[in-house]
Amino acid sequence: MPAAIRNLRSDPQLLFVRLPNLLSLLCIVVGVVWLLLLPLNDYSRQTYISENALLPGQVHAYFTGSEQNIFRGYKKELEGLINEEREDGAQNPEVESTPAISNKIHSILQAAGLKVATQKYEYTSAGITHRGENVYGIIHAPRGDATEAIVLVAAWKTADDELNLNGVTLALTLARYFKRWSLWSKDIIFIFPPDSKTGTQAWIDAYHDLHPSSVQPLPLKSGALQGALVIEYPFDHRFKTLHIVYDGVNGQLPNLDLFNTAVAIAGGQMGIGANLQEMWQHDDSYEARLKTILRGMTKQGLGYATGAHSSFMPYHIDAITLQPKGEGWEDEMALGRTIESLCRSLNNLLEHLHQSFFFYLLMQSNRFVSIGTYLPSAMLLAGNFTIMAIALWMRTGYHSDPKLSGPTGSESSKLKSEKSSSPGTQKDVAETKTDGSAVAERVLALPLTLVSGLHLLGLVPLWIFNTIFHQYFTTVTYIFVAVDIVLPLLLAALLSNGLGISTPIVRQQYLLIKSFALLLLGLSLSTLATLNFSLAFMIGLLCTPLSFVVRLEGAAPLRYAISSLGLVLLNILSPPTVLIGICWYTGVPIETVLTQAAFGWDVWGMWTQVVVWCVWWPAWLIGCVLLGSSMF
Amino acid sequence: MTVPALFSLLLALAVTLWSLPASASSDYQEQLFLQPLPQSSLLASFNFRGNTSQQSFDNQHFRYFPRALGQILQHAHTKELHLRFTTGRWDAESWGPRPWNGSKEGGTGVELWAWIDATDDEEAFAKWITLTQSLSGLFCASMNFVDSTRTTRPVASFEPTGDHPHAEGLHLLHGTLPGEVVCTENLTPFLKLLPCKGKTGISSLFDGHKLFDAAWQSMSVDMRPICPSDGECLVQIEQTVDMVLDIERSKRSRTNPIPRPVPNEQLLCDASKPYNSEDTCYPLEKASGKAWSLQEVFGRSLNGVCPLAESDGSSEQSVCLRVPHERQVFHSEGAVEHKKPDGFTRCFSLSSSQPFDLSIPEQPGQVQVPLEAPVLHAERTIVGHGQERGGMRIIFGNPSKTTSVDFILFESLPWFLRPYIHTLQATITGPDGVPREVPSSELVTGTFYRPAIDRERGTQLELALSVPAASSVTLTYDFEKAILRYTEYPPDANRGFNVAPAVIRILNAPGSAPVYIRSTSLLLPLPTPDFSMPYNVIILTSTVIALAFGTVFNILVRRIVSVDQAAALGAQSLKGRILGKLVAIRDRLRKKETKVE
Repeated sequence: MPAAIRNLRSDPQLLFVRLPNLLSLLCIVVGVVWLLLLPLNDYSRQTYISENALLPGQVHAYFTGSEQNIFRGYKKELEGLINEEREDGAQNPEVESTPAISNKIHSILQAAGLKVATQKYEYTSAGITHRGENVYGIIHAPRGDATEAIVLVAAWKTADDELNLNGVTLALTLARYFKRWSLWSKDIIFIFPPDSKTGTQAWIDAYHDLHPSSVQPLPLKSGALQGALVIEYPFDHRFKTLHIVYDGVNGQLPNLDLFNTAVAIAGGQMGIGANLQEMWQHDDSYEARLKTILRGMTKQGLGYATGAHSSFMPYHIDAITLQPKGEGWEDEMALGRTIESLCRSLNNLLEHLHQSFFFYLLMQSNRFVSIGTYLPSAMLLAGNFTIMAIALWMRTGYHSDPKLSGPTGSESSKLKSEKSSSPGTQKDVAETKTDGSAVAERVLALPLTLVSGLHLLGLVPLWIFNTIFHQYFTTVTYIFVAVDIVLPLLLAALLSNGLGISTPIVRQQYLLIKSFALLLLGLSLSTLATLNFSLAFMIGLLCTPLSFVVRLEGAAPLRYAISSLGLVLLNILSPPTVLIGICWYTGVPIETVLTQAAFGWDVWGMWTQVVVWCVWWPAWLIGCVLLGSSMF
Repeated sequence: MTVPALFSLLLALAVTLWSLPASASSDYQEQLFLQPLPQSSLLASFNFRGNTSQQSFDNQHFRYFPRALGQILQHAHTKELHLRFTTGRWDAESWGPRPWNGSKEGGTGVELWAWIDATDDEEAFAKWITLTQSLSGLFCASMNFVDSTRTTRPVASFEPTGDHPHAEGLHLLHGTLPGEVVCTENLTPFLKLLPCKGKTGISSLFDGHKLFDAAWQSMSVDMRPICPSDGECLVQIEQTVDMVLDIERSKRSRTNPIPRPVPNEQLLCDASKPYNSEDTCYPLEKASGKAWSLQEVFGRSLNGVCPLAESDGSSEQSVCLRVPHERQVFHSEGAVEHKKPDGFTRCFSLSSSQPFDLSIPEQPGQVQVPLEAPVLHAERTIVGHGQERGGMRIIFGNPSKTTSVDFILFESLPWFLRPYIHTLQATITGPDGVPREVPSSELVTGTFYRPAIDRERGTQLELALSVPAASSVTLTYDFEKAILRYTEYPPDANRGFNVAPAVIRILNAPGSAPVYIRSTSLLLPLPTPDFSMPYNVIILTSTVIALAFGTVFNILVRRIVSVDQAAALGAQSLKGRILGKLVAIRDRLRKKETKVE
């Protein structure tokens, strides 16, 4: 055994080339398998209410009886107004946010005894202007002092852009009903934004006085917000289950207690089943659980706002959306009672929700894995890059040909090895074997400049994709595919023979370039994994080939063939190609996706693009340059 | 007649007889003022005022002045005292100006300020601590937590309301407890200070259930000396209770307080709507004029008049109601109604023997009592988010079209909120609605600033400001949140830390009664560790240390020796030798016994 270890130590080829490759591969495989193990019972946990003050479902909900008559009355009233507006101006699609309807909501809330105010806002993103007016009303806690508040949101347009008439009506009826209770310890704020994308964002930004100048400040405020619920009910028939949407911007999640409370109240008290992640048929099998996790991870990784609730998350306000789904026998009053009970639970809170998890993956409405269990998966993926980077660093220091390492003699020997590459490399190997422990001087200037330069270059597409008008998005994406093909080859050519501008590069520098690129990638991804696990995992998975990309050496025809094949494969995994591929697979136009992304950047403060263009794209580019340099 | 009843009767007789000659200088009066407010609210304002001569106060002859309070004040050399218990918030938008111009209310929680006679600041503070500790016991409130960090010495915000012949030795100290929850335990001692103790007179209406179900409620105790130009000085105690009751909520019976949905047939629907039907109802909200009676709203009726109340013409009409004269008001027999010439106020002289009740039937469509517009709107909120920094935003709105408002803003901030005064910025929004930034010196005419010292005193900031007509001024400043030591967190659930309301004193009318406004209190979230974790760690490490320490200590102090050595060790001392002998004898005996067996 000691002899074997000694052998291993004295075999630098094994220690510095094969072993890191093996370890990296192992990390990737274990990382992926780890994720696949999570749905098993042994690795996931049953959910539970951690904050005892919530007491979900411990109160009787009284929202029934004649309140339904009032619901119908409000609904007819709003319906009448909408129809009038449609007849007047059929060309205007935004009939729901006209002054007449705003005024109606205003007057209904005022008659119910709420303090009402409005807020106008305007956002411009990718050449599209989003304009609207939020109407909101506050029920002052009867003996309260405006120190805390709960938010109820009913947007005129749901997250899927349907007319949320029932939801708005329900919120109005609840506002009138809640006003009669004297038990509220927190103010209750009812917000009626015109849509789910912009309205709540404008409101919550202004609430914390962090709004852009195009958004009006709020004339009426309350205290610290403790939780938010979004009501959606975009159809007229009765529903079967409640779909709970919980993903926030940048993959932030609400406290698991809020989700659990909603599930417990819907299921335990009201007898309504709860769904998540659009899993309508969840048989609790391994496949269904895994699918739920993966859907959750996709939403988290893309980091977009999945509903009106998402805007609350960056301010550390826990929020969820309740969407009734399916055909069943639950009516709007059942949804109202669920919300009443949820509000009562939130009303019980003595402290901000903090007891339960903020980082979790849900696989079923009552099963989850927490960060401690799932994090190693993404960390292993990120670790594979770091391992490779460290190995390459050591290899450049220890295991280099002294002749090649010096910058002075490099040019001639480089040219020689270029001309007769196959004997040259054999000679290299032979030399390094004899002289394995020689300490080489690293030439850092070029690799460092190149790596940092390419990372900075990522700001260019970041800026372009967040600034140009939406109609050019498709064209620019295709241009970028072309740029991604040409740019690495150009850089490779420049590096390999200088093209008369610079001195050609030596072999050690290629390894250093790769080392730095992978080091940065590993570093960024492992940091990102703690903030947005899914994004780190997805980028890590897409970047795995970069660990194994090398500058090929060997017979020219074979080298050309393999490197061009490799380049084609790598180009398939480039950010714009992946985007095109996903759009083609899901059938969503590229323009829509990119408009949404630009909107996310401008309005929601979404950071996914930064990760794509400043972490993934530079690393990918360097991988391509390395592979492309084999051609020169 | 039982013995205690007889005794009390005799006592009452004695008191009455004894107080007769002194009625010129010591008197007592009480008054209840009722005013229906918009949105089915009712303002009930109770006022109890007792006088005693300075001489008898100094000689501890207490009659209408409560002895318990009087002795505390004498002990703490307090010449003037103002104590406030407040919950809820006054809704100036719909209820108009505050009762008593805001001078009888405090910020949320408990507020206390007093003028103390002392030679220097230190002595004044020592007496102040004595005062707060004693009042804390008297009123069952946590006023003992008013320590140096919560005590300020306002410079311009408060003026003595009494006449102080020796004003130079007086020190004003002010303390607030914004997190204090005012409840029945504070009401009971408050009632005990009244001469009729809530048994008869208007104080018999106090019911903890109704009083503390009010939307806004404020209790105050004021003590001040009054020296008329002719005659001797008096010491006056004035107690008030102001509350705004929600008529609908108060009328619910105590056995069934749940606001269940009303039966379908009781729904008030707008029948003019085309869709109005059996199951569809657009609700009509009653504009005003809900029916109510004292019995319904307060849960009990007024139990005659307090016999100690002075019986001259003015205070005879101890219950006043402010509704238009056209409105029908029924009252119980024995009482006499007097309508005042202003067209809205009517007062009632009560019969001393019969209980009094007052009821107003529902009457739609009559004139409303006009409400004056408040002089100034003020809103104070915390902006920004995060654990490290935040900002304070105070908006003052002047609704008047013609006159500007001058006022003093008084903020006492806890030490863990560190304001950056250099970031003080003012934005003024004129009648055109366009906000423009102005240098804060343009609006702030005077500043008094006493910076905080960590763990010793809070920030005191007094700004003299002026808001032009028909405009609103937004003041903002940034602050930093301090990190507390873990023992400084209170043991309660971590809701955040309360910041005391700002006090605004409006200066507009010289000579007239001061107008005060208080902002709402604020909740300041500080970076807080999850205490369950350190507690778990503490518990675990304590256990481990206890186990380890126990074992190691055991090993260290115990000498482990073999049995024969133990005997030798024990034999060295006298006691040991004797014991050894005894053991030897016993062993011998035992051996014998065993041998016998």
